[in-house]
Amino acid sequence: MASPVPLYTLCRLCHYYGGKKVVDIDEFNIPSGSITGLSGPNGSGKTTFLKLLAFAIAPSQGEIRFNGRREYPMSARVRSRVTLMTQAPYLLKRSVLENVVYGLKIRKDTKKLKQRAERALAAVGLDFDGFHNRAWHQLSGGEAQRVALAARLILEPQALLLDEPVASVDAESARLILKASLAARDKWGCTLIIVSHDLAWLNACSDTRLSMEKGRIFSTHEEIILPPPYQTVQTGSTVNWILPLSNGRQVCLPDKTGETALIPADKINIAREVETQFNGKNRIPVLVTRMALEPKTGRIEVDLNADAFGLTLLLSKEQAGALNLQPGKKRILVFRTRDVFWR
Amino acid sequence: MPITSVAETVLTFLVEGFFKAIELLISGDISTWSAVSATLNASTGSMLVSLLTGLPCGFVLGYFDFRFKRPIRTILDTLLALPTVCVGLIVYAFISSKGPLGDMGLLFTLTGIAIGQTILAFPVVTAITAAIIENIDPALKLTLVSLGAGKKDIILTCLWEVRFGILAAAVTAYGRVLTEVGISMIVGGNIKYHTRTMTTAIALETNKGLFADGIALGIVLMAIAFTVNLSLSFLRKK
Repeated sequence: MASPVPLYTLCRLCHYYGGKKVVDIDEFNIPSGSITGLSGPNGSGKTTFLKLLAFAIAPSQGEIRFNGRREYPMSARVRSRVTLMTQAPYLLKRSVLENVVYGLKIRKDTKKLKQRAERALAAVGLDFDGFHNRAWHQLSGGEAQRVALAARLILEPQALLLDEPVASVDAESARLILKASLAARDKWGCTLIIVSHDLAWLNACSDTRLSMEKGRIFSTHEEIILPPPYQTVQTGSTVNWILPLSNGRQVCLPDKTGETALIPADKINIAREVETQFNGKNRIPVLVTRMALEPKTGRIEVDLNADAFGLTLLLSKEQAGALNLQPGKKRILVFRTRDVFWR
Repeated sequence: MPITSVAETVLTFLVEGFFKAIELLISGDISTWSAVSATLNASTGSMLVSLLTGLPCGFVLGYFDFRFKRPIRTILDTLLALPTVCVGLIVYAFISSKGPLGDMGLLFTLTGIAIGQTILAFPVVTAITAAIIENIDPALKLTLVSLGAGKKDIILTCLWEVRFGILAAAVTAYGRVLTEVGISMIVGGNIKYHTRTMTTAIALETNKGLFADGIALGIVLMAIAFTVNLSLSFLRKK
Protein backbone atom coordinates (compact mmCIF):
# COMPACT_ATOMS: atom_id res chain seq x y z
CA MET A 1 0.00 0.00 0.00
CA ALA A 2 1.30 3.44 -0.89
CA SER A 3 2.65 5.54 1.97
CA PRO A 4 0.65 8.75 2.66
CA VAL A 5 3.85 10.82 2.44
CA PRO A 6 5.11 10.83 -1.15
CA LEU A 7 8.64 9.56 -1.58
CA TYR A 8 9.49 12.60 -3.69
CA THR A 9 7.91 16.02 -3.55
CA LEU A 10 9.21 18.53 -6.05
CA CYS A 11 8.49 22.22 -5.53
CA ARG A 12 9.22 24.93 -8.12
CA LEU A 13 12.09 22.86 -9.44
CA CYS A 14 14.21 24.46 -12.18
CA HIS A 15 17.56 23.50 -13.56
CA TYR A 16 19.64 25.40 -16.09
CA TYR A 17 22.59 24.49 -18.27
CA GLY A 18 24.40 27.61 -19.46
CA GLY A 19 21.33 29.78 -19.00
CA LYS A 20 19.03 27.33 -20.81
CA LYS A 21 16.22 25.94 -18.71
CA VAL A 22 16.26 22.15 -19.00
CA VAL A 23 13.95 21.18 -16.13
CA ASP A 24 10.95 23.25 -15.12
CA ILE A 25 8.51 21.55 -12.75
CA ASP A 26 6.14 23.55 -10.62
CA GLU A 27 4.86 20.82 -8.32
CA PHE A 28 5.09 17.10 -8.60
CA ASN A 29 4.81 14.09 -6.29
CA ILE A 30 6.04 10.54 -6.73
CA PRO A 31 4.29 8.09 -4.40
CA SER A 32 6.31 5.54 -2.49
CA GLY A 33 6.32 2.08 -4.04
CA SER A 34 5.10 3.31 -7.44
CA ILE A 35 6.57 2.66 -10.85
CA THR A 36 6.74 5.78 -12.98
CA GLY A 37 7.56 5.52 -16.68
CA LEU A 38 8.95 8.61 -18.32
CA SER A 39 9.38 9.14 -22.04
CA GLY A 40 10.08 12.10 -24.27
CA PRO A 41 12.27 13.29 -27.12
CA ASN A 42 16.04 13.61 -26.83
CA GLY A 43 17.04 16.80 -25.03
CA SER A 44 13.71 17.10 -23.23
CA GLY A 45 15.42 16.97 -19.82
CA LYS A 46 14.76 13.35 -18.78
CA THR A 47 18.32 12.47 -17.81
CA THR A 48 18.81 15.75 -15.92
CA PHE A 49 15.52 15.08 -14.14
CA LEU A 50 16.80 11.65 -13.04
CA LYS A 51 20.13 13.14 -11.88
CA LEU A 52 18.18 15.65 -9.79
CA LEU A 53 16.07 12.87 -8.29
CA ALA A 54 19.26 10.88 -7.60
CA PHE A 55 20.69 13.92 -5.77
CA ALA A 56 23.68 13.68 -8.06
CA ILE A 57 23.34 17.36 -8.95
CA ALA A 58 21.79 20.25 -7.08
CA PRO A 59 18.86 22.03 -8.73
CA SER A 60 19.43 25.62 -9.84
CA GLN A 61 16.18 26.59 -8.13
CA GLY A 62 13.51 24.93 -6.03
CA GLU A 63 13.63 21.99 -3.71
CA ILE A 64 13.36 18.23 -3.69
CA ARG A 65 11.82 16.61 -0.66
CA PHE A 66 12.59 12.96 -0.01
CA ASN A 67 10.35 11.21 2.51
CA GLY A 68 8.95 14.66 3.33
CA ARG A 69 12.35 16.15 4.13
CA ARG A 70 14.32 18.58 1.97
CA GLU A 71 17.48 16.87 0.81
CA TYR A 72 20.69 17.87 -0.95
CA PRO A 73 23.39 16.11 -3.01
CA MET A 74 25.85 14.01 -0.97
CA SER A 75 23.49 13.94 2.01
CA ALA A 76 24.20 10.76 3.94
CA ARG A 77 20.46 10.09 4.32
CA VAL A 78 19.74 9.92 0.59
CA ARG A 79 23.09 8.47 -0.49
CA SER A 80 22.17 5.12 0.96
CA ARG A 81 18.54 5.16 -0.23
CA VAL A 82 18.56 6.38 -3.82
CA THR A 83 20.47 4.85 -6.69
CA LEU A 84 20.65 5.67 -10.37
CA MET A 85 21.62 3.45 -13.25
CA THR A 86 22.71 5.48 -16.26
CA GLN A 87 22.10 4.63 -19.91
CA ALA A 88 25.67 3.40 -20.41
CA PRO A 89 26.56 2.24 -16.90
CA TYR A 90 30.19 2.54 -15.89
CA LEU A 91 31.65 -0.65 -14.49
CA LEU A 92 34.62 -0.24 -12.19
CA LYS A 93 37.87 -1.75 -13.46
CA ARG A 94 37.44 -4.77 -11.22
CA SER A 95 35.80 -8.17 -11.27
CA VAL A 96 32.03 -8.60 -11.50
CA LEU A 97 31.89 -9.57 -7.82
CA GLU A 98 33.83 -6.46 -6.79
CA ASN A 99 31.52 -4.32 -8.89
CA VAL A 100 28.38 -5.83 -7.38
CA VAL A 101 29.51 -5.48 -3.75
CA TYR A 102 31.15 -2.03 -4.10
CA GLY A 103 28.13 -0.15 -2.72
CA LEU A 104 27.90 -2.48 0.28
CA LYS A 105 31.61 -2.17 1.03
CA ILE A 106 31.54 1.63 1.14
CA ARG A 107 28.58 1.34 3.51
CA LYS A 108 30.76 -0.95 5.65
CA ASP A 109 28.01 -3.56 5.29
CA THR A 110 30.19 -6.58 4.66
CA LYS A 111 28.12 -9.44 6.08
CA LYS A 112 27.62 -12.41 3.75
CA LEU A 113 28.82 -10.45 0.74
CA LYS A 114 29.16 -13.49 -1.49
CA GLN A 115 25.68 -14.84 -0.75
CA ARG A 116 24.12 -11.43 -1.31
CA ALA A 117 26.05 -10.94 -4.55
CA GLU A 118 24.91 -14.37 -5.66
CA ARG A 119 21.26 -13.42 -5.03
CA ALA A 120 21.64 -10.06 -6.79
CA LEU A 121 23.25 -11.65 -9.83
CA ALA A 122 20.60 -14.36 -9.89
CA ALA A 123 17.90 -11.66 -9.84
CA VAL A 124 19.24 -10.30 -13.12
CA GLY A 125 19.68 -13.76 -14.62
CA LEU A 126 23.46 -14.10 -14.23
CA ASP A 127 25.03 -17.26 -12.89
CA PHE A 128 27.33 -16.44 -9.94
CA ASP A 129 29.86 -19.19 -10.65
CA GLY A 130 30.14 -18.23 -14.29
CA PHE A 131 30.41 -14.50 -13.78
CA HIS A 132 31.75 -13.43 -10.39
CA ASN A 133 35.40 -13.73 -11.38
CA ARG A 134 35.05 -12.14 -14.78
CA ALA A 135 36.76 -8.81 -15.39
CA TRP A 136 34.73 -5.76 -16.36
CA HIS A 137 35.95 -5.97 -19.96
CA GLN A 138 34.89 -9.57 -20.40
CA LEU A 139 31.16 -8.79 -20.48
CA SER A 140 28.77 -8.13 -23.35
CA GLY A 141 26.69 -4.93 -23.35
CA GLY A 142 23.62 -6.71 -21.96
CA GLU A 143 25.66 -8.53 -19.28
CA ALA A 144 27.35 -5.27 -18.22
CA GLN A 145 23.93 -3.63 -17.95
CA ARG A 146 22.68 -6.48 -15.77
CA VAL A 147 25.80 -6.42 -13.57
CA ALA A 148 25.24 -2.68 -13.08
CA LEU A 149 21.61 -3.37 -12.11
CA ALA A 150 22.71 -6.13 -9.70
CA ALA A 151 25.15 -3.64 -8.09
CA ARG A 152 22.15 -1.41 -7.38
CA LEU A 153 19.63 -4.08 -6.41
CA ILE A 154 22.00 -5.50 -3.78
CA LEU A 155 21.70 -2.16 -1.95
CA GLU A 156 17.92 -2.62 -1.66
CA PRO A 157 17.37 1.09 -2.34
CA GLN A 158 14.18 2.95 -1.55
CA ALA A 159 14.29 4.57 -4.99
CA LEU A 160 15.78 3.00 -8.10
CA LEU A 161 16.17 5.35 -11.06
CA LEU A 162 16.79 3.71 -14.42
CA ASP A 163 17.85 5.75 -17.44
CA GLU A 164 17.21 3.87 -20.66
CA PRO A 165 17.88 0.47 -19.08
CA VAL A 166 16.96 -1.48 -22.22
CA ALA A 167 18.25 0.91 -24.90
CA SER A 168 21.16 -1.25 -25.97
CA VAL A 169 20.27 -4.74 -24.82
CA ASP A 170 18.63 -7.71 -26.49
CA ALA A 171 15.05 -8.78 -25.83
CA GLU A 172 16.06 -11.41 -23.26
CA SER A 173 18.15 -8.93 -21.27
CA ALA A 174 15.28 -6.43 -21.43
CA ARG A 175 12.92 -9.08 -20.06
CA LEU A 176 15.31 -9.93 -17.21
CA ILE A 177 15.85 -6.26 -16.35
CA LEU A 178 12.08 -5.75 -16.23
CA LYS A 179 11.61 -8.86 -14.08
CA ALA A 180 14.34 -7.81 -11.63
CA SER A 181 12.99 -4.25 -11.40
CA LEU A 182 9.45 -5.44 -10.70
CA ALA A 183 10.75 -7.90 -8.10
CA ALA A 184 12.50 -5.01 -6.32
CA ARG A 185 9.17 -3.24 -5.95
CA ASP A 186 7.41 -6.39 -4.78
CA LYS A 187 10.13 -7.48 -2.32
CA TRP A 188 11.00 -4.27 -0.48
CA GLY A 189 8.62 -1.68 -1.92
CA CYS A 190 11.25 -0.02 -4.07
CA THR A 191 10.01 3.03 -5.96
CA LEU A 192 11.02 2.86 -9.59
CA ILE A 193 11.39 5.77 -11.97
CA ILE A 194 12.24 4.56 -15.43
CA VAL A 195 13.16 6.59 -18.50
CA SER A 196 12.85 4.78 -21.80
CA HIS A 197 12.13 5.32 -25.47
CA ASP A 198 10.75 1.79 -25.65
CA LEU A 199 7.14 2.72 -25.01
CA ALA A 200 5.83 -0.84 -25.13
CA TRP A 201 8.37 -1.94 -22.50
CA LEU A 202 7.64 1.15 -20.44
CA ASN A 203 3.89 0.61 -20.58
CA ALA A 204 4.36 -2.99 -19.51
CA CYS A 205 6.02 -2.01 -16.26
CA SER A 206 4.70 1.44 -15.29
CA ASP A 207 1.85 2.36 -12.97
CA THR A 208 2.03 5.96 -14.14
CA ARG A 209 3.14 7.11 -17.56
CA LEU A 210 4.59 10.56 -17.99
CA SER A 211 6.02 12.49 -20.90
CA MET A 212 8.64 15.16 -20.78
CA GLU A 213 8.86 18.03 -23.21
CA LYS A 214 11.14 21.06 -22.81
CA GLY A 215 11.80 20.15 -19.18
CA ARG A 216 8.12 19.93 -18.27
CA ILE A 217 6.21 16.85 -17.21
CA PHE A 218 2.89 15.80 -18.68
CA SER A 219 0.61 12.88 -18.05
CA THR A 220 1.06 10.71 -21.15
CA HIS A 221 -2.38 9.21 -21.54
CA GLU A 222 -4.34 12.24 -20.38
CA GLU A 223 -2.62 15.05 -22.23
CA ILE A 224 -1.30 14.86 -25.76
CA ILE A 225 1.66 17.12 -26.53
CA LEU A 226 1.59 19.02 -29.80
CA PRO A 227 5.32 19.57 -29.93
CA PRO A 228 7.11 22.69 -31.19
CA PRO A 229 8.26 24.38 -33.42
CA TYR A 230 5.20 26.63 -33.62
CA GLN A 231 4.76 29.43 -36.13
CA THR A 232 2.59 32.46 -36.61
CA VAL A 233 0.59 33.22 -39.76
CA GLN A 234 -0.98 36.53 -40.56
CA THR A 235 -4.58 36.51 -41.84
CA GLY A 236 -5.64 40.07 -42.52
CA SER A 237 -4.96 41.98 -39.34
CA THR A 238 -4.97 38.92 -37.05
CA VAL A 239 -2.00 36.75 -36.18
CA ASN A 240 -2.71 33.06 -35.61
CA TRP A 241 -0.49 30.40 -34.08
CA ILE A 242 -0.05 27.14 -35.99
CA LEU A 243 1.87 23.87 -35.80
CA PRO A 244 3.03 23.26 -39.40
CA LEU A 245 2.71 19.73 -40.81
CA SER A 246 3.96 18.35 -44.11
CA ASN A 247 2.16 18.90 -47.44
CA GLY A 248 1.17 22.40 -46.36
CA ARG A 249 -1.14 21.11 -43.61
CA GLN A 250 -1.23 22.73 -40.23
CA VAL A 251 -2.73 22.46 -36.78
CA CYS A 252 -4.48 25.67 -35.73
CA LEU A 253 -3.66 26.67 -32.18
CA PRO A 254 -5.19 29.25 -29.84
CA ASP A 255 -3.26 32.39 -28.86
CA LYS A 256 0.06 31.41 -27.29
CA THR A 257 0.01 31.64 -23.52
CA GLY A 258 2.67 29.08 -22.63
CA GLU A 259 5.64 27.05 -23.87
CA THR A 260 3.95 23.86 -25.03
CA ALA A 261 0.62 23.22 -26.72
CA LEU A 262 -1.43 20.34 -25.31
CA ILE A 263 -4.77 18.75 -25.90
CA PRO A 264 -6.67 16.57 -23.44
CA ALA A 265 -6.84 13.03 -24.76
CA ASP A 266 -10.59 12.86 -24.21
CA LYS A 267 -11.08 15.82 -26.57
CA ILE A 268 -9.57 13.94 -29.49
CA ASN A 269 -11.71 11.98 -31.92
CA ILE A 270 -10.59 9.48 -34.49
CA ALA A 271 -12.56 9.36 -37.71
CA ARG A 272 -12.40 6.88 -40.57
CA GLU A 273 -12.53 9.73 -43.07
CA VAL A 274 -13.05 13.49 -43.03
CA GLU A 275 -16.46 13.96 -41.54
CA THR A 276 -18.10 17.11 -42.80
CA GLN A 277 -20.69 17.17 -40.04
CA PHE A 278 -17.96 17.59 -37.45
CA ASN A 279 -17.20 21.24 -36.73
CA GLY A 280 -13.71 20.64 -35.44
CA LYS A 281 -11.20 22.86 -37.09
CA ASN A 282 -8.24 20.48 -37.09
CA ARG A 283 -8.31 17.36 -39.19
CA ILE A 284 -4.97 15.59 -39.28
CA PRO A 285 -4.24 12.40 -41.23
CA VAL A 286 -2.56 9.84 -39.00
CA LEU A 287 -1.13 6.39 -39.46
CA VAL A 288 -1.74 3.65 -36.91
CA THR A 289 1.76 2.37 -36.13
CA ARG A 290 1.20 0.03 -33.18
CA MET A 291 -1.55 -1.43 -31.09
CA ALA A 292 -1.09 -3.23 -27.82
CA LEU A 293 -3.23 -4.47 -24.99
CA GLU A 294 -2.54 -2.60 -21.76
CA PRO A 295 -2.67 -5.51 -19.30
CA LYS A 296 -3.47 -3.40 -16.24
CA THR A 297 -6.64 -1.77 -17.61
CA GLY A 298 -7.60 -4.05 -20.49
CA ARG A 299 -7.67 -1.09 -22.84
CA ILE A 300 -5.99 -0.88 -26.21
CA GLU A 301 -3.03 1.38 -26.55
CA VAL A 302 -2.88 2.86 -30.03
CA ASP A 303 0.23 4.65 -31.31
CA LEU A 304 -0.52 7.13 -34.06
CA ASN A 305 1.96 8.92 -36.26
CA ALA A 306 0.87 12.37 -37.36
CA ASP A 307 4.07 13.11 -39.29
CA ALA A 308 5.17 16.09 -37.16
CA PHE A 309 4.44 14.29 -33.93
CA GLY A 310 3.42 10.96 -32.49
CA LEU A 311 0.80 10.27 -29.89
CA THR A 312 -0.57 7.38 -27.91
CA LEU A 313 -4.26 7.04 -27.14
CA LEU A 314 -5.95 4.55 -24.86
CA LEU A 315 -9.17 3.21 -26.35
CA SER A 316 -11.64 0.63 -25.20
CA LYS A 317 -11.76 -2.60 -27.18
CA GLU A 318 -15.17 -1.55 -28.50
CA GLN A 319 -13.87 1.84 -29.69
CA ALA A 320 -10.89 0.26 -31.41
CA GLY A 321 -13.16 -2.34 -33.03
CA ALA A 322 -15.70 0.25 -34.21
CA LEU A 323 -12.97 2.29 -35.89
CA ASN A 324 -11.51 -0.90 -37.40
CA LEU A 325 -8.07 0.17 -36.22
CA GLN A 326 -5.12 -1.89 -37.35
CA PRO A 327 -1.45 -1.05 -37.67
CA GLY A 328 -0.87 0.41 -41.13
CA LYS A 329 -4.39 1.88 -41.45
CA LYS A 330 -4.81 5.60 -42.07
CA ARG A 331 -7.31 7.57 -40.01
CA ILE A 332 -8.18 11.19 -39.32
CA LEU A 333 -7.51 12.86 -35.99
CA VAL A 334 -10.12 15.49 -35.22
CA PHE A 335 -10.09 18.07 -32.45
CA ARG A 336 -11.20 21.63 -31.86
CA THR A 337 -8.72 24.47 -31.67
CA ARG A 338 -10.44 25.80 -28.58
CA ASP A 339 -9.71 22.53 -26.76
CA VAL A 340 -5.98 23.06 -27.21
CA PHE A 341 -4.32 24.79 -24.27
CA TRP A 342 -0.83 26.05 -23.46
CA ARG A 343 1.38 25.28 -20.52
CA MET B 1 89.12 9.26 -38.75
CA PRO B 2 87.15 6.95 -41.09
CA ILE B 3 83.56 6.19 -40.11
CA THR B 4 84.24 2.45 -39.78
CA SER B 5 87.00 3.13 -37.23
CA VAL B 6 84.64 5.35 -35.18
CA ALA B 7 81.99 2.65 -35.22
CA GLU B 8 84.56 0.04 -34.19
CA THR B 9 85.75 2.25 -31.29
CA VAL B 10 82.19 2.84 -30.05
CA LEU B 11 81.39 -0.86 -30.33
CA THR B 12 84.55 -1.72 -28.44
CA PHE B 13 83.57 0.71 -25.66
CA LEU B 14 80.11 -0.80 -25.43
CA VAL B 15 81.29 -4.40 -25.39
CA GLU B 16 84.02 -3.60 -22.88
CA GLY B 17 81.53 -1.62 -20.83
CA PHE B 18 79.06 -4.49 -20.83
CA PHE B 19 81.58 -7.01 -19.54
CA LYS B 20 82.96 -4.48 -17.10
CA ALA B 21 79.44 -3.82 -15.77
CA ILE B 22 78.94 -7.54 -15.10
CA GLU B 23 82.35 -7.72 -13.48
CA LEU B 24 81.67 -4.68 -11.25
CA LEU B 25 78.40 -6.12 -10.03
CA ILE B 26 79.54 -9.70 -9.57
CA SER B 27 82.83 -8.79 -7.90
CA GLY B 28 80.94 -6.64 -5.39
CA ASP B 29 82.93 -3.53 -6.25
CA ILE B 30 82.40 -1.31 -3.21
CA SER B 31 82.37 2.00 -5.05
CA THR B 32 79.84 0.71 -7.62
CA TRP B 33 77.53 -0.76 -4.99
CA SER B 34 77.86 2.38 -2.90
CA ALA B 35 76.78 4.48 -5.91
CA VAL B 36 73.88 2.07 -6.59
CA SER B 37 72.83 2.28 -2.94
CA ALA B 38 73.07 6.11 -2.89
CA THR B 39 71.06 6.33 -6.11
CA LEU B 40 68.33 4.01 -4.85
CA ASN B 41 68.13 5.64 -1.41
CA ALA B 42 67.84 9.18 -2.72
CA SER B 43 65.45 8.32 -5.56
CA THR B 44 63.21 6.10 -3.43
CA GLY B 45 62.90 8.76 -0.74
CA SER B 46 62.17 11.52 -3.24
CA MET B 47 59.64 9.36 -5.11
CA LEU B 48 57.78 8.48 -1.92
CA VAL B 49 57.47 12.13 -0.91
CA SER B 50 56.56 13.34 -4.40
CA LEU B 51 53.90 10.61 -4.77
CA LEU B 52 52.41 11.29 -1.34
CA THR B 53 52.16 15.01 -2.06
CA GLY B 54 51.76 14.99 -5.84
CA LEU B 55 48.85 12.53 -6.06
CA PRO B 56 46.43 14.51 -3.84
CA CYS B 57 47.53 17.81 -5.41
CA GLY B 58 47.06 16.34 -8.91
CA PHE B 59 43.63 15.03 -7.93
CA VAL B 60 42.52 18.41 -6.59
CA LEU B 61 43.87 20.16 -9.67
CA GLY B 62 42.21 17.75 -12.10
CA TYR B 63 38.93 17.14 -10.29
CA PHE B 64 37.84 20.51 -8.93
CA ASP B 65 37.26 23.83 -10.62
CA PHE B 66 38.58 26.80 -8.72
CA ARG B 67 40.04 30.24 -9.27
CA PHE B 68 43.59 30.35 -10.64
CA LYS B 69 43.39 26.71 -11.71
CA ARG B 70 44.60 27.50 -15.27
CA PRO B 71 47.60 29.62 -14.21
CA ILE B 72 48.59 26.90 -11.72
CA ARG B 73 48.39 24.29 -14.49
CA THR B 74 50.50 26.46 -16.77
CA ILE B 75 53.17 26.94 -14.09
CA LEU B 76 53.14 23.23 -13.32
CA ASP B 77 53.47 22.31 -16.99
CA THR B 78 56.41 24.71 -17.26
CA LEU B 79 58.04 23.05 -14.25
CA LEU B 80 58.01 19.75 -16.15
CA ALA B 81 60.97 21.11 -18.09
CA LEU B 82 62.76 22.38 -14.98
CA PRO B 83 66.55 22.03 -15.52
CA THR B 84 68.08 19.86 -12.84
CA VAL B 85 71.01 22.24 -12.38
CA CYS B 86 68.53 25.06 -11.59
CA VAL B 87 66.89 22.89 -8.93
CA GLY B 88 70.36 22.03 -7.63
CA LEU B 89 71.29 25.69 -7.40
CA ILE B 90 68.05 26.68 -5.63
CA VAL B 91 68.33 23.85 -3.11
CA TYR B 92 72.02 24.66 -2.62
CA ALA B 93 71.13 28.31 -1.92
CA PHE B 94 68.72 27.18 0.78
CA ILE B 95 70.78 24.49 2.49
CA SER B 96 74.31 25.86 2.19
CA SER B 97 75.84 27.20 5.42
CA LYS B 98 74.77 30.77 4.50
CA GLY B 99 71.26 29.71 3.42
CA PRO B 100 68.09 29.88 5.56
CA LEU B 101 68.22 26.11 6.19
CA GLY B 102 71.99 25.96 6.56
CA ASP B 103 71.82 24.90 10.21
CA MET B 104 70.09 21.67 9.29
CA GLY B 105 73.28 20.26 7.83
CA LEU B 106 71.66 18.95 4.65
CA LEU B 107 74.35 20.03 2.22
CA PHE B 108 76.36 17.12 0.76
CA THR B 109 73.93 14.56 2.14
CA LEU B 110 71.59 12.08 0.48
CA THR B 111 68.68 13.84 2.20
CA GLY B 112 69.69 17.05 0.42
CA ILE B 113 69.75 15.22 -2.91
CA ALA B 114 66.35 13.66 -2.13
CA ILE B 115 64.89 17.13 -1.43
CA GLY B 116 66.10 18.40 -4.79
CA GLN B 117 64.83 15.29 -6.57
CA THR B 118 61.44 15.70 -4.87
CA ILE B 119 61.22 19.21 -6.32
CA LEU B 120 62.04 17.67 -9.69
CA ALA B 121 59.51 14.82 -9.46
CA PHE B 122 56.61 16.66 -7.81
CA PRO B 123 55.52 18.63 -10.92
CA VAL B 124 55.73 15.47 -13.04
CA VAL B 125 53.52 13.44 -10.68
CA THR B 126 51.08 16.33 -10.10
CA ALA B 127 50.73 17.42 -13.74
CA ILE B 128 50.27 13.89 -15.10
CA THR B 129 47.83 12.94 -12.32
CA ALA B 130 45.83 16.14 -12.95
CA ALA B 131 45.68 15.40 -16.69
CA ILE B 132 44.56 11.81 -16.03
CA ILE B 133 41.90 12.89 -13.53
CA GLU B 134 40.64 15.61 -15.90
CA ASN B 135 40.13 12.98 -18.58
CA ILE B 136 38.31 10.57 -16.29
CA ASP B 137 34.98 9.31 -17.68
CA PRO B 138 32.26 11.62 -16.27
CA ALA B 139 30.10 8.52 -15.86
CA LEU B 140 32.49 7.27 -13.15
CA LYS B 141 31.66 10.04 -10.68
CA LEU B 142 27.94 9.71 -11.38
CA THR B 143 28.20 5.94 -10.85
CA LEU B 144 30.05 6.37 -7.56
CA VAL B 145 27.58 8.97 -6.29
CA SER B 146 24.67 6.78 -7.34
CA LEU B 147 26.18 3.83 -5.46
CA GLY B 148 26.35 5.94 -2.31
CA ALA B 149 30.03 6.93 -2.28
CA GLY B 150 31.07 9.81 -0.05
CA LYS B 151 33.79 12.32 -0.92
CA LYS B 152 36.62 10.16 0.45
CA ASP B 153 35.34 7.08 -1.40
CA ILE B 154 35.07 9.09 -4.62
CA ILE B 155 38.69 10.30 -4.36
CA LEU B 156 40.10 6.87 -3.52
CA THR B 157 38.03 5.01 -6.10
CA CYS B 158 38.82 7.55 -8.83
CA LEU B 159 42.55 7.19 -8.10
CA TRP B 160 42.23 3.40 -8.13
CA GLU B 161 40.33 3.48 -11.43
CA VAL B 162 43.15 5.43 -13.08
CA ARG B 163 45.89 3.43 -11.35
CA PHE B 164 47.57 2.48 -14.64
CA GLY B 165 47.85 6.13 -15.64
CA ILE B 166 49.22 7.02 -12.23
CA LEU B 167 51.70 4.19 -12.52
CA ALA B 168 52.84 5.78 -15.79
CA ALA B 169 53.20 9.12 -13.98
CA ALA B 170 55.30 7.45 -11.29
CA VAL B 171 57.50 5.72 -13.87
CA THR B 172 58.02 8.99 -15.76
CA ALA B 173 58.92 10.83 -12.56
CA TYR B 174 61.21 8.01 -11.46
CA GLY B 175 62.96 8.12 -14.82
CA ARG B 176 63.60 11.83 -14.36
CA VAL B 177 64.89 11.38 -10.80
CA LEU B 178 67.04 8.35 -11.56
CA THR B 179 68.85 9.97 -14.45
CA GLU B 180 69.43 13.49 -13.16
CA VAL B 181 73.01 14.71 -12.61
CA GLY B 182 72.69 18.39 -11.74
CA ILE B 183 71.09 18.05 -8.30
CA SER B 184 73.28 15.15 -7.19
CA MET B 185 76.40 16.96 -8.31
CA ILE B 186 75.60 20.40 -6.83
CA VAL B 187 73.73 19.40 -3.66
CA GLY B 188 75.44 16.05 -3.03
CA GLY B 189 78.96 17.08 -3.97
CA ASN B 190 79.81 13.67 -5.52
CA ILE B 191 81.55 12.41 -2.37
CA LYS B 192 82.81 8.84 -2.80
CA TYR B 193 81.06 6.21 -0.64
CA HIS B 194 78.70 8.89 0.63
CA THR B 195 76.80 10.98 -1.95
CA ARG B 196 78.21 9.66 -5.19
CA THR B 197 75.30 8.42 -7.27
CA MET B 198 75.37 6.44 -10.50
CA THR B 199 75.04 9.52 -12.69
CA THR B 200 77.69 11.58 -10.92
CA ALA B 201 79.98 8.54 -10.96
CA ILE B 202 79.49 8.20 -14.74
CA ALA B 203 80.29 11.90 -15.21
CA LEU B 204 83.42 11.54 -13.11
CA GLU B 205 84.68 8.35 -14.82
CA THR B 206 84.16 9.93 -18.23
CA ASN B 207 86.02 13.06 -17.15
CA LYS B 208 88.92 10.85 -16.06
CA GLY B 209 88.92 9.24 -19.51
CA LEU B 210 87.71 5.87 -18.19
CA PHE B 211 85.00 5.46 -20.80
CA ALA B 212 84.53 1.75 -20.27
CA ASP B 213 83.92 2.28 -16.55
CA GLY B 214 81.47 5.06 -17.41
CA ILE B 215 79.63 2.83 -19.84
CA ALA B 216 79.61 0.01 -17.30
CA LEU B 217 77.97 2.25 -14.74
CA GLY B 218 75.53 3.47 -17.41
CA ILE B 219 74.56 -0.12 -18.15
CA VAL B 220 74.04 -0.78 -14.43
CA LEU B 221 71.84 2.35 -14.25
CA MET B 222 69.79 1.15 -17.20
CA ALA B 223 69.49 -2.27 -15.59
CA ILE B 224 68.05 -0.65 -12.45
CA ALA B 225 65.57 1.36 -14.54
CA PHE B 226 64.62 -1.80 -16.44
CA THR B 227 64.10 -3.78 -13.21
CA VAL B 228 61.87 -1.04 -11.77
CA ASN B 229 59.79 -0.85 -14.96
CA LEU B 230 59.56 -4.62 -15.14
CA SER B 231 58.23 -4.73 -11.55
CA LEU B 232 55.66 -2.04 -12.32
CA SER B 233 54.65 -3.85 -15.48
CA PHE B 234 54.13 -6.99 -13.39
CA LEU B 235 52.00 -5.00 -10.93
CA ARG B 236 49.95 -3.66 -13.82
CA LYS B 237 49.19 -7.18 -15.00
CA LYS B 238 48.13 -8.14 -11.48
